[in-house]
Amino acid sequence: MKLGLVIDLDTCVGCHACATACKQWNTSGTIGPLSDQNPYGKNPNGSWLNRIRTYEVKESLADQKPPSANQQSSCGSDKFDLYALATKGESALSFVGVNSATGAPASKTVHMPMSCMQCEDADCVTVCPTGASYKRAEDGIVLIDQDKCMGCNLCSWACPYGARELDETQGVMKKCTLCVDRIYDEKLPESERQPACVLSCPTSSRVFGDFDDPTSDVSRLTIERGGKGLMPELGYKPTNRYLPPREKAEVPAMVKTNQPALSKLKKWANRVIAR
Amino acid sequence: MNQPVNLLPEFENHEEQETKFTTCYMCACRCGIKVTTEGNEVRFIQGNPNHPINKGVLCAKGNSGIMKQSSPAKLRSPLLRKPGSERGAGEFEEISWDQALEILTARLKKIRQTDPKKLAFFTGRDQMQALTGFWASQFGTINWAAHGGFCSVNMAAAGLYTTGYSFWEFGDPDWDLTKYFMMWGVAEDHASNPIKIGLKKLKERGAKFVAINPVRTGYQAIADEWIAVRPGTDGMLALAMVHVLLQHDMFDDEFLVRYTNSPRLVVNTPGQVGDGLFLRNANGEALVYDQQRGVLVDGNRVDISPALFGDFTADDGRAVRTVMSMLADKYLVDEYSPTAAAKVCGVPADTIERLALEVAHVAFQESITIDCEWTDWAGRKQTQFVGRPVSMHAMRGISAHSNGFQTCRAIHLLQVMLGTIDCPGGHLAKPPFPKHIPPNLKPARDMAPNTPLTSAPLGFPTSPEDLCIDGDGTPLRIDKAYSWDAPIAAHGLMHMVISNAVKGDPYEIDTLMLFMTNMAWNSSMNTANTMAMLREKKDNGEYKIPFIVNSDAFHSEMVNYSDLVLPDTTFLERYDTISMLDRPISETDAACDSIRQPILKADRDVRAWQEVLVDLAGRLDFPAFKNEQGGNRYQNYKDFIINYERAPGIGFLAGWRGKNGDQHLCGEPNPKQWEAYIENECFFKYPLEPCQRYYRHANKDYLELAKAAGWVASTDQILIEVYSEPLQKFRLAGQGLYDGPMPTDEQHKQRLREHFDPLPYFYMPLEQQRIDTGEYRFHAITQRPMFMYHSWDSQNAWLRQIASQNYLYMNREECGRMGIDDESWVWLESHNGKIRAQVKHMDGVEANTVWTWNAIAKAPGAWGLDKDANEGKDAFLLNHLISELLPPKQSFTDITNSDPVTGQAAWYDLCVKITPALEGESGALPQFEPVKPLPNQPLSAREISYTTHQNVNIRRSLKDILTRGIS
Amino acid sequence: MKPAFSVLFFTVTSGIGYGLLMWLVAMQLLRGQVGELQNFLIVGFIGLTLATLGLLSSTLHLANPKNAWRAFSRFGTSWLSREGVFSLLYYPVILIYAYVLYTNGGELTTAIKVIGVVSLLIALATVICTGMIYASLKPIRQWHNPLVTPLYLLFSVTSGALAYSMLGLALEGSLSHLASNAFVILLLTSLLMKVIYFKSIGKPEGSTIGSATGFTQAQVRLLDAGHNADTFLTKEFVFDAGAMKLLRLRWLMIILLFVVPLVLVVATYTFDVAPAVYFAMVSLYLGLFAERWLFFAEARHVVRLYHGDQRA
Ligand SMILES: Nc1nc2c(c(=O)[nH]1)N[C@H]1C(S)=C(S)[C@@H](COP(=O)(O)OP(=O)(O)OC[C@H]3O[C@@H](n4cnc5c(=O)[nH]c(N)nc54)[C@H](O)[C@@H]3O)O[C@H]1N2
Ligand SMILES: Nc1nc2c(c(=O)[nH]1)N[C@H]1C(S)=C(S)[C@@H](COP(=O)(O)OP(=O)(O)OC[C@H]3O[C@@H](n4cnc5c(=O)[nH]c(N)nc54)[C@H](O)[C@@H]3O)O[C@H]1N2
Ligand code: SF4
Ligand code: SF4
Ligand code: SF4
Ligand code: SF4
Ligand code: SF4
Ligand SMILES: [Mo]
Repeated sequence: MKLGLVIDLDTCVGCHACATACKQWNTSGTIGPLSDQNPYGKNPNGSWLNRIRTYEVKESLADQKPPSANQQSSCGSDKFDLYALATKGESALSFVGVNSATGAPASKTVHMPMSCMQCEDADCVTVCPTGASYKRAEDGIVLIDQDKCMGCNLCSWACPYGARELDETQGVMKKCTLCVDRIYDEKLPESERQPACVLSCPTSSRVFGDFDDPTSDVSRLTIERGGKGLMPELGYKPTNRYLPPREKAEVPAMVKTNQPALSKLKKWANRVIAR
Repeated sequence: MNQPVNLLPEFENHEEQETKFTTCYMCACRCGIKVTTEGNEVRFIQGNPNHPINKGVLCAKGNSGIMKQSSPAKLRSPLLRKPGSERGAGEFEEISWDQALEILTARLKKIRQTDPKKLAFFTGRDQMQALTGFWASQFGTINWAAHGGFCSVNMAAAGLYTTGYSFWEFGDPDWDLTKYFMMWGVAEDHASNPIKIGLKKLKERGAKFVAINPVRTGYQAIADEWIAVRPGTDGMLALAMVHVLLQHDMFDDEFLVRYTNSPRLVVNTPGQVGDGLFLRNANGEALVYDQQRGVLVDGNRVDISPALFGDFTADDGRAVRTVMSMLADKYLVDEYSPTAAAKVCGVPADTIERLALEVAHVAFQESITIDCEWTDWAGRKQTQFVGRPVSMHAMRGISAHSNGFQTCRAIHLLQVMLGTIDCPGGHLAKPPFPKHIPPNLKPARDMAPNTPLTSAPLGFPTSPEDLCIDGDGTPLRIDKAYSWDAPIAAHGLMHMVISNAVKGDPYEIDTLMLFMTNMAWNSSMNTANTMAMLREKKDNGEYKIPFIVNSDAFHSEMVNYSDLVLPDTTFLERYDTISMLDRPISETDAACDSIRQPILKADRDVRAWQEVLVDLAGRLDFPAFKNEQGGNRYQNYKDFIINYERAPGIGFLAGWRGKNGDQHLCGEPNPKQWEAYIENECFFKYPLEPCQRYYRHANKDYLELAKAAGWVASTDQILIEVYSEPLQKFRLAGQGLYDGPMPTDEQHKQRLREHFDPLPYFYMPLEQQRIDTGEYRFHAITQRPMFMYHSWDSQNAWLRQIASQNYLYMNREECGRMGIDDESWVWLESHNGKIRAQVKHMDGVEANTVWTWNAIAKAPGAWGLDKDANEGKDAFLLNHLISELLPPKQSFTDITNSDPVTGQAAWYDLCVKITPALEGESGALPQFEPVKPLPNQPLSAREISYTTHQNVNIRRSLKDILTRGIS
Repeated sequence: MKPAFSVLFFTVTSGIGYGLLMWLVAMQLLRGQVGELQNFLIVGFIGLTLATLGLLSSTLHLANPKNAWRAFSRFGTSWLSREGVFSLLYYPVILIYAYVLYTNGGELTTAIKVIGVVSLLIALATVICTGMIYASLKPIRQWHNPLVTPLYLLFSVTSGALAYSMLGLALEGSLSHLASNAFVILLLTSLLMKVIYFKSIGKPEGSTIGSATGFTQAQVRLLDAGHNADTFLTKEFVFDAGAMKLLRLRWLMIILLFVVPLVLVVATYTFDVAPAVYFAMVSLYLGLFAERWLFFAEARHVVRLYHGDQRA
């Protein structure tokens, strides 16, 4: 089994529901508590296993080439490219929606939730000296044994996705467990054996499942929508997939009658319409 | 799943857990939640999958309920301002509930015996206006309103005066069938989760989603097209679309003829009494021109074919013309052409035209039908529902402008022309809506000591006679609602209460009673000044507002300015109803209401405001709360909810009525009603029959049900009002042509003449009309953050980690031109004041607009936060810049900064000039003295490690550690 | 990356310690004799103390040191674990070496030589492991560089050479010429390597915000990180010294680490200024600190991309 998440960038509105759902489930969960420092003071912060960031994506200024073309294709389709998408349609503008007021270059706001990618080649695991970090053979979930971690931070250095955060109170590393304590809990109703973030997402932008099963939702969505892993060039083989924004929905315009505005009022014949 | 799964430990001891259902109140969306507790602590709050509102999902706030429950700012016991201490100094002493209620009862008794209007009772983010309004009526004061006046009365009123329902909670797009969705000025809205669920459906189906908003965040980020409109100009945009539709004959004439008043004949005698009113027969029925008979007939008749266009002559010789002809004349002029509109809105003319042609295409060439037998208002059987699958939603980007009422009417007009009203794929009503237009309820006016009002304090005026003014035009209400300042102020003007009361204009009050509103901070305009007003004293040393009572659950800024504080429970600690008499949780295809039940035991000396109100009602001898023997009729809130009947069979809760709980919507009280709700996961859903789901304004099957349920008073067709005759009556009053009350003040006359146009029209927001827009060239607006609810959530340890400071977002290119660096500090100055804020650049904001998240800033020390918390030091409130009065204008008296029709607070009319702060100037200004901690307030934690049980770790075996290779 | 003093101190100090010990043992093996036994013990003690101080300081940055002992368990994959194992293993080997040498009256038998070689290899391995801890981290381009481990090793051996030579002066009254010469060559080699390293990390390559978000052909800018205050991630990974400061530090480092020691040591060749090595050592030590500080400060973890950087 290769369990992981699919995240739909076409529908994520950046509401942070998945982030707080994650926090509340996991603070009493296997990886918890998730401590918070200075919760009511200056600069509050704490450990989170899932964070949402927002980016503005703008038409290519051709200054950023992908790290390597072949590496790109090895990890999903190039549908993800704003540029590729844009040139397929009329123009880049058609994809992102031009700022009609300012005529500024086409750009788009993208919300990007990030939690552990459950990488297949997870260096966070190999660098861990204590063996606290490990990847479960049976389902690929990467976990941390809280009793064994010495808080050296090395695994967080090895993680390119910022998925690991040290818990400052307990001095041990925390990360997304893929809600291992929900998905296998047979005392929960079957429909609830899903990660907390997935259950909670109001736009259903998060889907959980087995990527090894070609019939699963996650596999199907990845193929249909060109789901892609992030930073493939680093070779971690992240399991989670991001679905690119869809192409803009097009609607034809009704054909104009081409009559001058006011003059036609006179010509309006009333249709006889029964009340 | 295979073998190692068995190796997982038992994580949770489910035997020690309890799950209960209730309704979330981290915001007014009111999602169903399932709460798992361990002991008296919350393990997990999740969405209730069966609940009609949220279908199992939760938002960021709802998921952070644990941290709300453990907020250090929870009030602990009733508080009395220390005698001799100054209001606002934060010196309180804890008193018992008995003392608190005695003090309050004595005071209120005296007011009620002498001059009941001296009690002003205003409520904020509550959803129990049916109860508080009823309480106020029983007390006998007309000075009651909820927050709608500063919130979105423009939306409610525009809807209720046009289509009989509205965008604002009373309707929803048909998420399942719509093919084209336009969202006007919405960042989050009350339907937080339903909108998100709906948008997902749209995107899955490939429907087009157009977002009209100066800012591109949140929902707009996932729109197919973003229209960066200039704030305050949507009315122009909508009417230019109407222009295009008219120009190219693209309107649903059948819909207009059958379901709207557009064929009606309007008297066309400018300058004469009666101009612009409908031509009526002796029975008062409005006439139309019947094309078959060639005569003017009662427009309500079934057997006619009314002409949509045309000029005619009435029997008495007066010129009349159809509404539609007037409409065509009005909008087909150049002023409303896309080219002209482009200059106003900043949206290119061809875009405006294309949008109009696209909605027309979808409405008329992609229309849908649902085969279903139904009976129309006239009793005729129909075989299908025709759907025009264009839908819209609009909220505060429209309503929070002083032209919001007319703008919202313009958007409704667009919908009406397309025939997308309550049809498949269109904009659907939610029971108990639609109502007759406008709802038949007039605001109460007469008061007498110890006497309940004869009607509710709020209502819907249809002519100047309905205003709450006395003979010489002086407002009767403290907020001046239903006066010439704001004749159709259907929700009151809560934002004017403090300012008016302090000025003693129109009169002085004795007690201001507030519930669930933070008037000393984020819900006031001109906040710093409001705080000063609350401290103002008369010559005799008494405060200008002598006594302030406040029910809050948390240590808000308003608590600090109160004399008597009555601590409420949290939403997890009380019984509550979300009632059909109020703003229920109905779906478009079902009537729904719901309750809350206590999940946790309150660990403080707090009482639910609901209980307090029922208790006070007994102490004050409100007739409706007394039995024949003079004793209390209701033991407590639960008892009241079960047994109170507004009309026979109609009570707060619609489900499981009747002695045995087997009747719904209408029936005798059921002593076991609460239990029935709890059994059903705390909500009630009454699905409508398929034949009752559309065209409800003209659907007999539906209207009969609605009448039986007490939602409407008659089964008459609800005729959609494209042309608003009530508005025209007010306009006539402004023109001096009305046969009834008329204003004497020139300013009032002018406002009525201009703004009470019976057909929607566009005008520049009022603040802009009175300032130098060259100097104050930026529009400054706020947005709701999806992760916070007004002032509630800075006390939430998780949510405040997402944002404890707000920034001023500005267009990147504009900043480049002005030399304003990212993250630098700037001064913002309006006609009313000056503040300092920190800038962030972004692309997705209209170049003339700046914006920020609403209500992140807090007074230092309030809300259980440290004095140096970011909310108090770096965050800023735009409210300081917004004046509750329009900028002064020569020879005009001061007047409210509100929509001239409805009195809706014009938050987003604010215009500012922006200048870079000097080198070294940083931190938000103004700054305030720290609020003192309350007596016995526990110190806020330095660190939290919340958990409800010993966390069960998954161990990795030593063998595995020592032997496993790479993975 | 944020330069943490404990880590800087650790790598620099233990690097010198191991370098010194390597020189000590290597010179004995080369010379085939031990020399003054007491001096051997003193130098050995100094070397071991430095290595130990370094190791101890490295545990200071552990958030949960009570589990530090577990760090030996993942020798199979973790360079940190390997470093731990080797550093620990080093103690018995070097102590046995010292003990048998001592009990043998300073006579180098084959068996003892073997032990010496083993100790050399373990010390080398330890330093290599330290280098590899960094070099193996793909998310940090400036570290994931083939020169990083050689540089670690070089700096250890180079500083060890100077220390060895200097201690020769202190204990035996004369510098070790071999070590001095070796120092000069090694230092020049490390300078060359360091310059190449600077050039190689200066190239604009590696992950970008484009590949980090999947929008590879667009300009991507952070609008909102989803939090105001610093998080563990920003505290750990977002460290901005400012380009000017970094450049100045590079020059300072080159002067302290290369120029000054080189000039001083070469000066001892022609002038009678042997004690200059003390100053050379101080300068070198400070220079190494600067080098290590830069090594961290110039390293840009790819997580920074998610927080506003355009390129790692
Ligand atoms: N999470 C959360 N949810 C809430 C609340 C909350 O505080 N937090 N508050 C609740 C309350 S009381 C209310 S009233 C609702 C309000 O819900 P919304 O209507 O979503 O209110 P605002 O956030 O004020 O959003 C107004 C939007 O209109 C845009 N806008 C401003 N001026 C104009 C304009 O002239 N034209 C157009 N087209 N757009 C404009 C702004 O950019 C913003 O996106 O939300 C409710 N729901
Ligand atoms: N600049 C700017 N200002 C605005 C707006 C804007 O868009 N921009 N929006 C306006 C709008 S639409 C609105 S609706 C207002 C909202 O503003 P307010 O009506 O002031 O609402 P809140 O800040 O949500 O909170 C009111 C109080 O309710 C208290 N409270 C919370 N839970 C409970 C409870 O269970 N019981 C009791 N008794 N009290 C409780 C809170 O502690 C808080 O003090 O703000 C308005 N102000
Ligand atoms: S993934 Fe879902 S829950 Fe998370 S931010 Fe996006 S929309 Fe919200
Ligand atoms: S995302 Fe990071 S923590 Fe998760 S498996 Fe990959 S490298 Fe490890
Ligand atoms: S912090 Fe803990 S889990 Fe991470 S590498 Fe160190 S010991 Fe392993
Ligand atoms: S799967 Fe569970 S642990 Fe991972 S991000 Fe989602 S809620 Fe958090
Ligand atoms: S939208 Fe969120 S806060 Fe509001 S009721 Fe629903 S879950 Fe609660
Ligand atoms: Mo509101």
